[in-house]
Amino acid sequence: MEKVGKLNKYVFTVVVMFISWVMLTSTFRPDELITGFIVSLLVALGSFEYLTEHGLGHFSPKRIAYLMLYGPYYLWQILLANFDVAYRVISPSMPIKPGFVAIKTNLKTDSGKLALANSITMTPGTLTIDAKDDVLLIHWIYVKDKTLEGATKEIGGPFEKYLKEIFG
Amino acid sequence: MVRKVVYSIFLAIIVLALAMFFAAYPFGKNKMTVGEYYLNHGVAQTGAANIVTSVVLDYRGFDTLGEVSVLFAAAAGVAILFFLAGGTKREQEDLTKPNFVVRVGSRIIFPFILLFGSYIFIHGHLTPGGGFQGGSIIASGFLLLYLSYPGTRTNRDGLSIIEGLAGLTFVVLGLIGLFLPQYSFLYNFLPKGTLNTIVSAGILPIIYIAIGFKVASEFAGIVDDMMCQVICRGGGK
Repeated sequence: MEKVGKLNKYVFTVVVMFISWVMLTSTFRPDELITGFIVSLLVALGSFEYLTEHGLGHFSPKRIAYLMLYGPYYLWQILLANFDVAYRVISPSMPIKPGFVAIKTNLKTDSGKLALANSITMTPGTLTIDAKDDVLLIHWIYVKDKTLEGATKEIGGPFEKYLKEIFG
Repeated sequence: MVRKVVYSIFLAIIVLALAMFFAAYPFGKNKMTVGEYYLNHGVAQTGAANIVTSVVLDYRGFDTLGEVSVLFAAAAGVAILFFLAGGTKREQEDLTKPNFVVRVGSRIIFPFILLFGSYIFIHGHLTPGGGFQGGSIIASGFLLLYLSYPGTRTNRDGLSIIEGLAGLTFVVLGLIGLFLPQYSFLYNFLPKGTLNTIVSAGILPIIYIAIGFKVASEFAGIVDDMMCQVICRGGGK
């Protein structure tokens, strides 16, 4: 991962803040836009060190394209997991085997690991408990594979190839 | 026996007082004449789309100055209390290191909290909320940072300067009204502008922005005092 400069991060934060402002106010009236721009400049001044590690690199077309793809893909994954958990809930034999597993991630950045952890948590059946370096501790409703490699492939695999491109 | 007689007398007094109170207002008539006045004239007189703001900052602006002072007194009280209590000997390592998700998540969400708080107090005269709410939201962002990175310290001198300037803005805006022909404290001397735009309602948005900064810096200061009680006193500041 290459280091990016302060100015780069600052500009990125300003842009993100300005877009959020427009979404909050949901108008393009000039007075709101000017105010939003000033507010973005000030807010970014106090917080640009926190938001990003890549700076403007986040806006590269490849990343945005993968982000766009990740949305529907992730919804599909959630849908599948929902049916899986629903089946375990309603079937009389109660096919659950809860337990903790550790998985390994190739993601280098903190924001990428956070996205992976939250993607896993949001998916029914799996829950991220903690993360240390490149290992995530997961609670799983049905432990199919106890080994590090197997669990990584089952839980992290579907998300990781996209998140790798988006967050690096 | 005597006790029961005394009880009965007191009960009779209370019932009588309530009856007299309600008898003063004919049944079915609106009792809130002041409230009705605000509702009917508030928008035209103050230019603020948010009627609550027109009451809080315009009709009752002086009360709000009092509330700001109360908050200042509370923040100062917390600071004095912790200063007098001295240090509890605890090292930073005693604090639980927060979870990875909490740490990274709060770092990413912090700018958005700042932006949302600013949005709330800048639009105080247009939408629900205002300086107090927006300031609290911003301070909660700082609280989140403190909790997820227990070593964080805010620049206290900077906070004091922001707080002082914001309070000064409020009072000076009020005092200007005294030198105008209308001769009243906190007189809304700026043009009212177009309803429902940011530049409207005269001095009200400026006051709310000042209050927002003041409340945010005061709450952040309180959080800093409390965290310092745990962290920096151990090192003997």
